[in-house]
Amino acid sequence: MTGDGDLGHVLALASLPRMGPGRLDALLAGRDPRWVWEELRRGGHGLDPVVGPRCGSGWAEVRAGWTAGAVAIDPARLAAAHHGLLVRRRGEDGFPVRLADDPEPPAFLVMSADLPDAPIVAIVGTRRCSGYGRDVARELGRGLAAAGVAVASGLALGIDAAAHRGALDVDGAPPVGVVATGLDVVYPVRNRRLWSDVEERGALVTEQPLGTPPARWRFPARNRILAGLADVVVVVESHAAGGSMHTVTAALERDVAVLAVPGPVTSPASAGTNALLAEGAAPARHVDDVLTALGLRSTPVPAGARREVPAELRPVLDSLDATPTSIDAVSLRTGLDVVTLHGVLRRLAALDLAEEEAGWWRSLPTQRVGHRGP
Amino acid sequence: MLAEIPSSTVLGVDGRPVSVEVHVSSGLPSFTIVGLPDASCREARDRVRAALLSSGFTWPLQRITVNLAPGGLPKTGSGLDLPIAIGVLVASDQLPAGLLAGRSFVGELGLDGSVRAVPGIVPLVDALATDEVVIPSSSAIEASLCARRGVRPVPGLSFAVAAMRGEEPWVDPPEPSVVSAAAGVGPDLADVRGQPTARLALEVAAAGAHHLLMIGPPGAGKTMLARRLPGLLPGLDPAHRLEVAKIHSTSGSGRALGLGGAPPFRAPHHGASMVSLVGGGSARVRPGEASLAHRGVLFLDEMGEFPTRVLDALRQPLEEGVIRVARARASVEFPARFLLVGATNPCPCGGGNGPASCRCSDAARARYLRRLSGPLLDRFDLRVVVPRPPAEAVLGGVAGESTSSVAARVSAARERARGRGVSANAELSSGELDELAPLDPSARRLVLEALADGHLSPRGARRVRAVALTLADLAGAEPPLTDDLVATALGLRVELAPMLEAAA
Repeated sequence: MTGDGDLGHVLALASLPRMGPGRLDALLAGRDPRWVWEELRRGGHGLDPVVGPRCGSGWAEVRAGWTAGAVAIDPARLAAAHHGLLVRRRGEDGFPVRLADDPEPPAFLVMSADLPDAPIVAIVGTRRCSGYGRDVARELGRGLAAAGVAVASGLALGIDAAAHRGALDVDGAPPVGVVATGLDVVYPVRNRRLWSDVEERGALVTEQPLGTPPARWRFPARNRILAGLADVVVVVESHAAGGSMHTVTAALERDVAVLAVPGPVTSPASAGTNALLAEGAAPARHVDDVLTALGLRSTPVPAGARREVPAELRPVLDSLDATPTSIDAVSLRTGLDVVTLHGVLRRLAALDLAEEEAGWWRSLPTQRVGHRGP
Repeated sequence: MLAEIPSSTVLGVDGRPVSVEVHVSSGLPSFTIVGLPDASCREARDRVRAALLSSGFTWPLQRITVNLAPGGLPKTGSGLDLPIAIGVLVASDQLPAGLLAGRSFVGELGLDGSVRAVPGIVPLVDALATDEVVIPSSSAIEASLCARRGVRPVPGLSFAVAAMRGEEPWVDPPEPSVVSAAAGVGPDLADVRGQPTARLALEVAAAGAHHLLMIGPPGAGKTMLARRLPGLLPGLDPAHRLEVAKIHSTSGSGRALGLGGAPPFRAPHHGASMVSLVGGGSARVRPGEASLAHRGVLFLDEMGEFPTRVLDALRQPLEEGVIRVARARASVEFPARFLLVGATNPCPCGGGNGPASCRCSDAARARYLRRLSGPLLDRFDLRVVVPRPPAEAVLGGVAGESTSSVAARVSAARERARGRGVSANAELSSGELDELAPLDPSARRLVLEALADGHLSPRGARRVRAVALTLADLAGAEPPLTDDLVATALGLRVELAPMLEAAA
């Protein structure tokens, strides 16, 4: 293993364009990162036998990108920028034990804080979830956090966000956000507030150095870390070929138990989860099912605080439910004109009582929904 | 002997004066046309000869040379037939040269001596400064859109000569009132039941000249709504009416007639080629749909189905209000300042009644929306969801507000915009918005929150302000803008960000 002095070089290598975990691993296998870096600055031909075969015919192009990056990036400055964050190299103290034996372990992790000393449950699902899925995810997040289980998720829209919101609702185990960008690149931007809440009360984890922008191919790579960190993966809602299925596959490869939340057989958002159940995944009907899978005993879940709703907002709030509704329909139900209605809806959104997605509005639950099993 | 007849030809959508010089001299009988005539112009030789003979004149068996000056300007079309024929008559002493004074001629000849309509009569007549312009009688109504005096419609060559000689009286062109009557009355907004959001969006689009994107399932009435937008726009003033008439006249004879003073509405199909949309063509450069929608509405239904290349070509007119078409022979500029209205399904399956009922895969959805992404999407200040109206609104609902009462509010809002030195609020720069559209504290907080949440880009925030100002104008409210107005402007700008993770 190499010493602390080359940390900047490892981060710099990970910052290069089109650098994935596999290529980084191949580059660093038994080599001094400083040597690899200098080799790239010299044109990188010495690396042809190391990564060339992995990249196939695209290697020349990849190498050109890397050598250009090696000229532009200053490893010392990059290392200095990470001051204040935890950068954990594989094999060093502080690197999560669960990932040490991973089949595709990251070379390092950048974390805002150390992982909580608690069981970790990953709650994953589609970004395009139904009201049902969102409510279940929030309820699971709330119940698990209250039971002292850390809720991990990808900080994406939809199920991911709902699970974390639930975990933040109660004073419980700290949440864990596993993201696919640098910790200074909030993605998706809409989750900015949630992102900073998780950072403040729990830990953000990524295998990307600061400044890494979102890229489509990094999300499946992120999902493997999420699966690797978790003791149990719960899929709340997933379309038949949704991105959450990557996490399921990664979890199964790592012998991590996968639970699925049953959904209506007519709902496309539950097609993936219902298929998992048909294939033998254990159902997650409520928090107790997940706790049982962890070998823990159930604890009572505190109800979410009821909120005071200003009287003038009441009629509009009452006309909304968990199903997304168009403004036109709300206008028909309440008799309010569109301009007034927009004002009221924004005020409801500011109170976290309603939310908008792509022009459709729904109410957010103000208290616990669903019921606990026997 | 030599004769010189003033006429004109079309370049782009503008008429250019052309001087037709005819020289008849002794020598072997021949007939040559020089001065960059195109194919249809060169064919004038045969039409002119036959028309002269059938009208009872003699064809001079001499050497005839026709020069179309200026020599560097390409001449297109058959409108020079009539001036060439008149020139031959004068140059061969069958018509006194004195009768030409103050007269110019435009028209195609039939072999029987009749004078036929030519496309582009409006710019052709507009380019001629003579006291009298002799034109085909079938183009008379269209030519009256030029609103000039001394237009002399003639049915045939022999009539034209007789009238010049004073043997027959000239026929008066039709009154402008006849022209307006020819324009139909557009569909009325009162036919739209329910759909308050879309109605508001149409009103705001018309008042502020904000481009509008409607997102909704098939059958929600997006096309029906878009067709009612021109009726809300203020009528064209005389200068704009001439601009529009020139474009429509150029694209084909008679088309300008249907308009009257109403703003045009164009709805090209998504199979439309690049040239048909932005203009072009090799032999004769013609205006495309984007120019035909000048000062009116360009409606793109199923916007995601248009090829990206074609949509990208709209960016220049959206920014500059013109389309420049460069060809080897000439480069022309077509005016194209239109209100863009797009319509799209939210996803390939149509989305039915909201996001929950969508049956598309994540990847298919992302692919669908990505076609709309990018700079063009950013041009739409208004992006609204148009859901299928509920049954009770369709069947039992009361008739909506009529076009005329909404148009009155729109016209009052435009009046206020003119007070700010622009024709509509969409043209206000960010500096002007800072000054003219201050936000009250709660409205400011809303904008800041939307910026922080990533709902809005800085550019988007400026546009939201412009829309909120238009809403205030329509309501007759004075700035500062309230949070209700800003919330509505935000609500009329639905986020359609293609989801990056979707294909992961």
